[in-house]
Amino acid sequence: MVESETLGETLQRRGFSRRSLLKFAIAMTSSLALPPSVAPLMAANLARARRRSVIWLSFQECTGCLETLLRSSSPTIDALIFDFISLDYQEALMAAAGTAAERTLREAVAANKGEYLLAIDGSIPTKDGGVYSLTGGRSNHDMLMEFAADAKAVLAIGTCAAYGGIPKAFPNPTGAVGVEDLVTDKPIVNIPGCPPVPEVLSGVLVHFISFGKLPDLDDRKRPLAYFGTTIHDQCYRRPFYDQGKFAKSFDDEGARQGWCLFELGCKGPITHNACASLKWNGGTSFPIESGHGCIGCSEPDFWDKGSFYTSLAGGSATGWRNAGLAAAVGIASGAAAALSSKLRAEPAKPRPENKP
Amino acid sequence: MTDLASLADDGLVDALLMEVAAMLGRLVDKGETASIDLRGLPLSFSCIANLEQRLGRGEILVQLDAAGRSELRETAFPGVWWTQHCDEAGRVIAMLIEVNTIPDILRADPIDMAASLRRLAGVTHHAAFRQASHA
Amino acid sequence: MTLLDFARGIGLQIAMLVLIVGLCWRFSAILLLRQRPQLALSRASLLGQIAGGAAMIFSRSVPRRSFRRRIGISILLSTIFHVGLFTIIFGGAPHILVIHQLIGLSWTNLPKGVVVIISGLTLAAMIAMLIRRIVHPVMRLLSTADDYLTWLFVFLPVVTGILLSGETIAGYETLLALHILSVEMMMIWLPFGKLMHGVLVIASRGTMGFNFARKGAAT
Repeated sequence: MVESETLGETLQRRGFSRRSLLKFAIAMTSSLALPPSVAPLMAANLARARRRSVIWLSFQECTGCLETLLRSSSPTIDALIFDFISLDYQEALMAAAGTAAERTLREAVAANKGEYLLAIDGSIPTKDGGVYSLTGGRSNHDMLMEFAADAKAVLAIGTCAAYGGIPKAFPNPTGAVGVEDLVTDKPIVNIPGCPPVPEVLSGVLVHFISFGKLPDLDDRKRPLAYFGTTIHDQCYRRPFYDQGKFAKSFDDEGARQGWCLFELGCKGPITHNACASLKWNGGTSFPIESGHGCIGCSEPDFWDKGSFYTSLAGGSATGWRNAGLAAAVGIASGAAAALSSKLRAEPAKPRPENKP
Repeated sequence: MTDLASLADDGLVDALLMEVAAMLGRLVDKGETASIDLRGLPLSFSCIANLEQRLGRGEILVQLDAAGRSELRETAFPGVWWTQHCDEAGRVIAMLIEVNTIPDILRADPIDMAASLRRLAGVTHHAAFRQASHA
Repeated sequence: MTLLDFARGIGLQIAMLVLIVGLCWRFSAILLLRQRPQLALSRASLLGQIAGGAAMIFSRSVPRRSFRRRIGISILLSTIFHVGLFTIIFGGAPHILVIHQLIGLSWTNLPKGVVVIISGLTLAAMIAMLIRRIVHPVMRLLSTADDYLTWLFVFLPVVTGILLSGETIAGYETLLALHILSVEMMMIWLPFGKLMHGVLVIASRGTMGFNFARKGAAT
């Protein structure tokens, strides 16, 4: 890897003071749920950090994850850090296309072998040789396996890359899977969400650059700092839940008063994400605050958990047809039981005696 | 918001004020500084407004322009500061209660000072040169 | 698929189907049983017989005076348990929500604190009843696996429900899955053991009262 200037030198060259970097570090420690006292250390480490390469491959995705990250960055330091980490390859953003783009990719991999971060968004189709998503004639599966082999770590960005997401929803016609189903020999960080909260990616990258390692992960390989609690535990409407005040429909008095949305299908209690505290669009709002229950978009298979509007207290009841069949079976067996009981109980008719 | 919700808010605010008091006590006794990250807590808008109101305003207001605007205000309790950092788009990126004699970010960084010394040396060198050439 | 997905999906469907099959089997078998023809004249009118049936449904819940001292504790515990369980099921907000999602009916729930206290009493009554069943020599002699299993299949929903409403010991998702699964186990067991009394008691008392009134016996 070519020696390059540190992030501190880059910032200084661009006219940013150490004070600006400290301010950024304060924001990052807040985002990463680290104690505020860590900010000066993070700022010092960031200043000393050298350039890291990130290669971004987009697979079976809607580009929502990339869009949300682009929209999120504050125009200055965040963007600078993205510049600094040097997004070496990203098809939607880079100017090069076609064979020029492919050459860029190969050069980036060769120059940073074993040290680059591989960022993936979109799921990977596996059915029929992965023919449902190709880049330059190559299947997503082959590209993933090739570039993961020389990566330092893999970031699966968005629920599609992490767990399969919407392409994996029943009946999963393309055989879509997440990164962790295919890559088993590299550190993986899942950053799920549909789309994910943008600060999470910034936080993971900054943590990596500052401390040289990935942040602590939970059992689903998600950064604990952002996915350690459920929406339910961070929700500002929690007092209403505890008091038993629920909105019964989307326009009733309870809804207008901002009561809990549990009865309208909110999946907050079983969803781990940071959106209840970090929110979207730079802290503007999140679904519950806007009046709609959480749909659980950062959990695996959230598309297949039944209706978004059926509460957790309910499930998918059996259909009328099956219920009718079951009743018929029951009645038939009951009738059979009654009949066998009747037959057993019938006393034998006495034989007429032959009287002379 | 209903009365019951504001009761819940008051409870949270009281708990935070008690924590601030404990932190201030440690600052006075041992010189230990501390901060509370308000964005890390599930506080509603009214709760934050309530807290801000209870802490009040003090004698110092600092506006910081570094990669976006920040505002640091001493509360009515000297040693307790209300800090809000925004990015260049004006979005809030951090909100803290800092317990310190003066927030650390207001102190000039040694590296920045070394850089300004170099810049100043250049400025004074030119000034001396101009003076010499006019003499 | 997580445990909760199973509990809310396939698990619920299986439990409902087994419950329907079982209930239909039991009811049709009982109703289709050959009835001995009643040859004597009825001592009461049809209305009187119906009134007798209705009366016995309630009168059987109150023990005869001569027995009251001996079984008073048992009746007290049983009443606390039954009233408590019905109050939790029909007064607790999440259960009213389940019913509402199933058939569209709903009503005002009891305050959470009230349900919590009643849950505690119900749990205590259940444990006391189990202890009595084990310690009392006659009860121990009479008890079969059916009795203990039935107790267990009702106890598990109560205890998991209490843990879930307190959101304690395990994560919400785990507790909810366990609670729903325990209810499903109870649904599957219901038609096949002593728990069926919950469905049959009204019918059996009513039938007996109807026949007693016919014979002119006290109800």
